[in-house]
Amino acid sequence: MPVHRLVTGVSSLSLTLAGLLLITFGLSRLSPVDPALQLLGDHASADSYAEMRRTLGLDAPWPVQFGRYAQRLAHGDLGTSLSTGERVSDDLRRVFPATIELATLALSVSTLVGVPLALLAAWRPRGTLDAAVRALTLAGNSVPIYWLGLLALYLFYAHWRLVGGPGRLDDAFEYTIEMRTGSVLLDTWRSGVPGAFADAVSHLILPVLILGAYALGNVTRLSRAALLNESGKEYVMLARAKGATDVRVLLGHILPNAAGIIVTVVALAYANLLEGAVLIETVFARPGLGRYLTTALFAADTPAILGGTLVIGVSFILINGVTDLIVNLLDPRTGA
Amino acid sequence: MTRQFAFALCALCVCLPSRAASPPNVLVVAQSLDDIISLDPAEGFELSSVQTFTSVYQRLVQPDPENPKVLVPTLAASWTPGPVPRSLVFWLREDAAFASGHKLRPEDVIFSLSRAVKLNRAPVFILNELGWRAENIDRALLKLDAHRVQISWSSNVGPAFALAVLSAPTASIVDETEVSTHEANGDAGNGWLKFHSAGSGPFKIRRYIAHEALVLDANPSSPGHAPLLSTLIIRNVADAATRRLLVEVGDVDIARDLGPDQVAALQGKRELQVLRFPSATVHYLLLNAANADNPALKNPALWEALRWLIDYQGIAGRLLKGEFEVHQAFLADGFPGALNATPYHLDVAKAKSILAGAGLDQGLRIKLSVFNQPPYGDIAQSLQSTFAQAGITLEILPALASEVYSKVRDRSVEAAWLYWVPDYFDANSTASAFALNREDGTRTLAWRAGWRIPQLSRETEAAVAEQDPSARERQYLAIQTAVQQSSPFVIALQARAEVVARAGVHGYAQGLDADMVYYDKVGK
Repeated sequence: MPVHRLVTGVSSLSLTLAGLLLITFGLSRLSPVDPALQLLGDHASADSYAEMRRTLGLDAPWPVQFGRYAQRLAHGDLGTSLSTGERVSDDLRRVFPATIELATLALSVSTLVGVPLALLAAWRPRGTLDAAVRALTLAGNSVPIYWLGLLALYLFYAHWRLVGGPGRLDDAFEYTIEMRTGSVLLDTWRSGVPGAFADAVSHLILPVLILGAYALGNVTRLSRAALLNESGKEYVMLARAKGATDVRVLLGHILPNAAGIIVTVVALAYANLLEGAVLIETVFARPGLGRYLTTALFAADTPAILGGTLVIGVSFILINGVTDLIVNLLDPRTGA
Repeated sequence: MTRQFAFALCALCVCLPSRAASPPNVLVVAQSLDDIISLDPAEGFELSSVQTFTSVYQRLVQPDPENPKVLVPTLAASWTPGPVPRSLVFWLREDAAFASGHKLRPEDVIFSLSRAVKLNRAPVFILNELGWRAENIDRALLKLDAHRVQISWSSNVGPAFALAVLSAPTASIVDETEVSTHEANGDAGNGWLKFHSAGSGPFKIRRYIAHEALVLDANPSSPGHAPLLSTLIIRNVADAATRRLLVEVGDVDIARDLGPDQVAALQGKRELQVLRFPSATVHYLLLNAANADNPALKNPALWEALRWLIDYQGIAGRLLKGEFEVHQAFLADGFPGALNATPYHLDVAKAKSILAGAGLDQGLRIKLSVFNQPPYGDIAQSLQSTFAQAGITLEILPALASEVYSKVRDRSVEAAWLYWVPDYFDANSTASAFALNREDGTRTLAWRAGWRIPQLSRETEAAVAEQDPSARERQYLAIQTAVQQSSPFVIALQARAEVVARAGVHGYAQGLDADMVYYDKVGK
């Protein structure tokens, strides 16, 4: 049976990814941006233009183009990016760890703050604290993250000079430390260069807090809703009738039963952060998958778009799988 | 480990003050580098790429940074007319060497120019102007001895024009010995040169990380002189507001490509200086006379009326706060032969009368394609407002720049607001776009505008072949006047480049053409 489940799982995964790639490829072909013109510029001669289209394989029907891509992919070749000139796999190896680092730290902030806030709100529903938490989360969701990033940079970096500014490191460190893993914290730590790790932390504070605040809204509101949904059930009334304190009811009865939903909410927030950090990456001039994909989209860089989409697709599937596993452990009924 | 962790905690809890100063002896520049596709001079044609070539490579001749109308010998020591018509003989500088230490040889010149033609990438059309093609380039380049190389061409152009082409970034001379060691699968070193350098310019590439940064080190052996600073870091900061903050705080020394509002906000700050340079970029309205859906677009009366329906002063002065000046001819002010007359201004009554006379006053509609980024939206809205005063409804169609270019190239737009940047420092670069339509399938701007001009095309071809500089300038003045008075192009503005630098930065220079960005004399 486990073999059967494994085969089913792998087949389902492959089909999902193939469908994702096919749709992305089709959409990229509908894009009004002409990759040949993007590479050659507007002044290129008709001969150069025609030759570039041939070189890129754009003269073939798009199903043929997709077939060629799929064939290369089956050999583990994601192709070469048209806009960076490097292998897409190398590009992704460089930018994805930076995004994972930023998203993981931001998610930690939003979870460590968001879940306690949801508990506080659920403790006295419709009370002053609940209203304050709801107002805070609404603000977190309503304020454009781009604007918030610029405002934070202006205040904490430019005006008060409390934290590092745009970029991952000060220039004194940036191009002397080898970025082996792509994670600035790991790389500066391993480098042993005095001050480099602290500098990396200083540059991470603002983007992490702002991205965390952005995810905080959803984590708090959805966790609060899950907690409140549980609080009206009979087993809670029974616990209260037996004389359990509010804190005990909340932490001992409601929270464990809402934990599955909260884990799912946090997992969804994580998946969104992995692809959705583009504005923060732009404002804070940090490399990352979101910015890589956006630049590729504007350049009609199909190999980079497909490679980035594949990574995001696999990440979503992995996160969903791990989430299912955790939820199953927390509540064995969901595995039935 | 523990000490580092404690340090990090300090940073988190106490928030260490940022240093807010770029390292000494290092110039840090913030700009967008997202456009770079290749740093190989035979391939790169993007703004950031060609600007880098000026720092990293040298050509046989280059425009004098102080006076770009004059070409000065750079890797060539001198040149003389060749023994055959349409040829020049160059004496190479005896002291010239590449950053690798290899001495400059005629073989390097021949290798560089022939590989650029044979690779056939984006900027090759500039070298094609000399009649050079993959099949004939080897015959055009001849080593005479250890110090001389003969360069000949088949096109009917004079030596002044040939020199201008040889001063283009794509004619940069690369170190054949170095490049050949990195050749793979017959790519003439292209794969390696995309990210590395093999030139003799004042800097050499230490590291290029796509979409992140370009780090250049000084090349002390550069013929001419070594740069004042040891390192130049160009950081990719895609967001203009972030670039502004960086230069304001002092983490970068120079911020480029800021918007007019950002420059205005920094103007007058004691620790900063706003540097202004003229630019050869001209902005114009293109009407597609070949568009069958809107036959009014081929009516010269409409072309004339629209010349009186643009608020030139309002756009240049008030709307875009001095980033442009009014200029109504295709050669930018500063180019040899530029026509600086500005006979047109906003005159709605005159435009209405012209339209009425041509029977075009019955609710004419025009679709205008524009780039979906600043300042094009503002310009389009100004046109919409002034055109409406004469009863013309302008429908604005914003789109990605590449989409607009694609449609203009296919002649599927009605009208578009575009800009033009010369590819090399010669009038023909621009004249052959606006005033040449051979109707042989070459998609010049005149072709894209559906403008049939056999006589003017002959005049443009005659001008590029003219060898007397004064006569040539007169010819270009006449061609510009013809385009200015009646053509489907309404040329309106010439751009200015604004750069914000820290007060201590000195020696930064920028020329008219896109590649003319000079960091070698910068100190701080």
